[in-house]
Amino acid sequence: MMGRDLSFLLPELVLVGTAMLMIVAEMLRAARLGLAIGLAGLATATLLTLPVLDADTTVFSGTYRIDALSGWAKLILLPGTALALLMVRAEIGGRLREGSVHALIVLVTLGALMLSGAGDMMLVVLGVVLTGLGSFALVAWPRDDAATEAAMKFLIFGAVTGAVMIYGLTFWFGGTGSTLFADLGRLTGRPLVLAAGLTALIVGLGYKGALVPFHFWVPDAYQGAPVSIAAYLSVITKAAAFFALAQALRDLPREAGWPLALGLIAAATMTFGYLAALVQSNLVRLLAYSSIAQSGYLLLAVVALGASELALPALLVFAAAYVAMNLGAFAVVLLAGRELSDLEGFGRAHPWVGLSMAVFLFSLTGIPPLFGFVGKLGLFAAAIDAGHLWLAVIGILNSVLGLGVYLRLVVPMFAASERHGAMPMPAPLLTVIALTLAVTLSFGMVTGLFLR
Amino acid sequence: MPLLTIATLLPLVAGLGLMALPARSNGMAHAVSISATGATFLLALAIWARGTDPGGFAQLEEAAWIPAIGAAWRLGVDGLSLPLVLLTGLLFFLSAIYSVRITERPATYVVLMLLLETASLGTFMALDGLLFYVFFEVSLVGMYFMIAGWGHEDRQRAALMFFLYTLLGSLPLLLAIIGLYLGSGTFDMRAWTQAPPLTGPAAMLALVAMLFTFAVKTPVLPFHTWLPAAHVQAPTAGSVILAGVMLKFGTYGLVRFSFEMLPDAFAAAAPAVLAFGVVSAIYGALAALAQSDLKKMIAYTSVNHMGYVVIGVAVAALATGPLVRATALDGATLQMVSHGVVTGALFFLVGMLQDRAHSRAMGDFGGLLGRVPWLGWGFIVAAFASLGLPGLAHFPAEFQIFLATFGTRPWGTVALVGIVVTAALYLRAIAAVFLGPANDRWAAMPDLDRHERLVIGLLLALIVLIGVMPGVMLDMIHRTMSGLVG
Repeated sequence: MMGRDLSFLLPELVLVGTAMLMIVAEMLRAARLGLAIGLAGLATATLLTLPVLDADTTVFSGTYRIDALSGWAKLILLPGTALALLMVRAEIGGRLREGSVHALIVLVTLGALMLSGAGDMMLVVLGVVLTGLGSFALVAWPRDDAATEAAMKFLIFGAVTGAVMIYGLTFWFGGTGSTLFADLGRLTGRPLVLAAGLTALIVGLGYKGALVPFHFWVPDAYQGAPVSIAAYLSVITKAAAFFALAQALRDLPREAGWPLALGLIAAATMTFGYLAALVQSNLVRLLAYSSIAQSGYLLLAVVALGASELALPALLVFAAAYVAMNLGAFAVVLLAGRELSDLEGFGRAHPWVGLSMAVFLFSLTGIPPLFGFVGKLGLFAAAIDAGHLWLAVIGILNSVLGLGVYLRLVVPMFAASERHGAMPMPAPLLTVIALTLAVTLSFGMVTGLFLR
Repeated sequence: MPLLTIATLLPLVAGLGLMALPARSNGMAHAVSISATGATFLLALAIWARGTDPGGFAQLEEAAWIPAIGAAWRLGVDGLSLPLVLLTGLLFFLSAIYSVRITERPATYVVLMLLLETASLGTFMALDGLLFYVFFEVSLVGMYFMIAGWGHEDRQRAALMFFLYTLLGSLPLLLAIIGLYLGSGTFDMRAWTQAPPLTGPAAMLALVAMLFTFAVKTPVLPFHTWLPAAHVQAPTAGSVILAGVMLKFGTYGLVRFSFEMLPDAFAAAAPAVLAFGVVSAIYGALAALAQSDLKKMIAYTSVNHMGYVVIGVAVAALATGPLVRATALDGATLQMVSHGVVTGALFFLVGMLQDRAHSRAMGDFGGLLGRVPWLGWGFIVAAFASLGLPGLAHFPAEFQIFLATFGTRPWGTVALVGIVVTAALYLRAIAAVFLGPANDRWAAMPDLDRHERLVIGLLLALIVLIGVMPGVMLDMIHRTMSGLVG
């Protein structure tokens, strides 16, 4: 039995081993070696995911799921992590404790995988703690005032929401007599217990997924942290939070009005995120608020879970698109500078990078035929199919708001300006931009190959 | 040979090829532009020569795209789309010829033009709802950069307004398309027209969403406010494409989607659509009368002329006899083509005038006819066509629309007021700019050069041809429309 379980866990095991080796490499002060181990480990784990992609089973007595959601989640999160590692290398390469950052990132991704496959409340708690602890340290890495403050805020927020989550989940345990999500069907007809546990789960995962009103740490943490860490947190741990939410809510009876409540949170998150992004002049903060808005879109798919068969594919497709285009946008910011004014004339001085940025931003808006459009199409279709036409309408109105936000970046990029001359273009960063650009441009058109 | 696919993708491929070239001279960019749009126009003529089927779509081309949700690369033409394909091919070709004067970042300009041509042809030929939407939206991006990059004084604001407004306008269509998909399980537009998938309140909701989209695009009062700003600020070729081709997305969608795919809901809403059309036509004419900026004036006459198209489509839904219905649709479709060539010519001419004088204000000119006879007579003929003179392109179209309107909802013919007002405003513009005492400021103004005469000459010839022998277009249109209403 144990042997069977372990064979399904090969990607996770490889990741554990990779992180250990990376720590050893860091102790030897061999950061480049550590990075190479990390990239190789992530690639191996990705490849080992492919054979179990069609599996639909659980391991460890039903607590950890090996299913389509967790499989595709790995295929999204592992390559995304590799890209983030390259960005870290470009930003803080050669500086003190670079290797620790690399190793921590791989460990946090391990926590993200746990969240994505969680079939049990305790596993969600474990995943939240594992991703949380690593993330606090990553944010605090620069060791200056801004980073320390951001990490402190992040930590306190995380501690409180985590405690609330654990407390609330005891209601579900009390109601079902089990910590397995698969047993949540027993809550049918007990709306108060259902609501209490769900509220707690939303607090805990909504904090990680940057949902309004648990988003306050996001702009500060992103701004205080290195840009590459902000990029990493904005895609990997966030996507994992939504995957965990999807794992839990798939089995929850659609009662007590929770789809409506979640729908309201989604609407508030999208709208607030974009409205706040409209008035930012710091690019990292702007992207932070934009990524809050995108969280609202991710939640659309969760709302439709159980009521539409399109919901799960829509969540995965949009998450994949989001990881690619958001990492790409952050990579360009890493290259251009942290202020909105740094973008002036950037597209004219560096046409290919400028064009890539325009593609990422239009994809975030949802302009066809880019990957982000296909993702949003799926989300809207799932929402309408589940009977939430109003949510799709709000999503669409927010796309217009989003265009307003993103054009604030596109317009100055192609304005005439003498600000930018030749600048160093680190190879790892160009690799990230090229890969995310290729995915954003082409995956929208070949999505059909992945849908079954 | 999959001519439709080749015609759609050729401009895009040429544009990508130009982007990939390491060194690009201005001349090379324009040579690529003219040859690619020229070849595409020839392909459009070849598609025209192959003809249509009376019973539905012809020259179908299909390839798998996203089989899991029933979306595919599906192209085809009928009597509604083929005239618009031809118009698109012609106007892009002429715009490419006219644009040889562009010296500011010409390669980027050409790439955008070619992207726009692919998007426009794709919009008219797509028989897949998702594919249609993709092309429809890509055209917005292309036009946004066109206005923002090569427009006039206030281009950034106009481009932003254009993009935000039309994106807001087009997203409801996405909801309607998703609704049609959820009702049928496919994105095949042929399936949607043969067996309309939505009924009752769902159909009405989808229709309202669509009407909003198409009203913004056409544009219909009160959703027209983006148009004057975008038109006035756009570079000349941009205005020509915007008015000549992209406004037709709205009326084409009105027929293809609202009329064909939601027939019952559209018939129920037709009186309101008719009213919007009538008000729009009259308002457009009156607003144009109030302008002293030539380009703005022509922009508003577009609101007027496109209002007639909306009237025609609404009447086709209201009328009972198949002959009347076909007449109304024939007129509406021909009106789209006529508006494309006539307004295209007018925007070119005003652009040529502006290139010379750096002004578009009527009051700055006077007596130019003797100074620049080609430009002057060209403008006079195009203006007469625009005000609906018999023998020129708009007459047969508007005649059929009003004929059908009179027999169905006589009150709709009050829109004829628009024609009277249009006549007044064009005569006033001609008198102010080309007649009267000559203004010495323009004593050295050169007349149209070889390129410009080619562009204008071709358009004027077509205006006369459609006016005198509307059958060249109407026969094909009528075959499809009789099938549609019968």
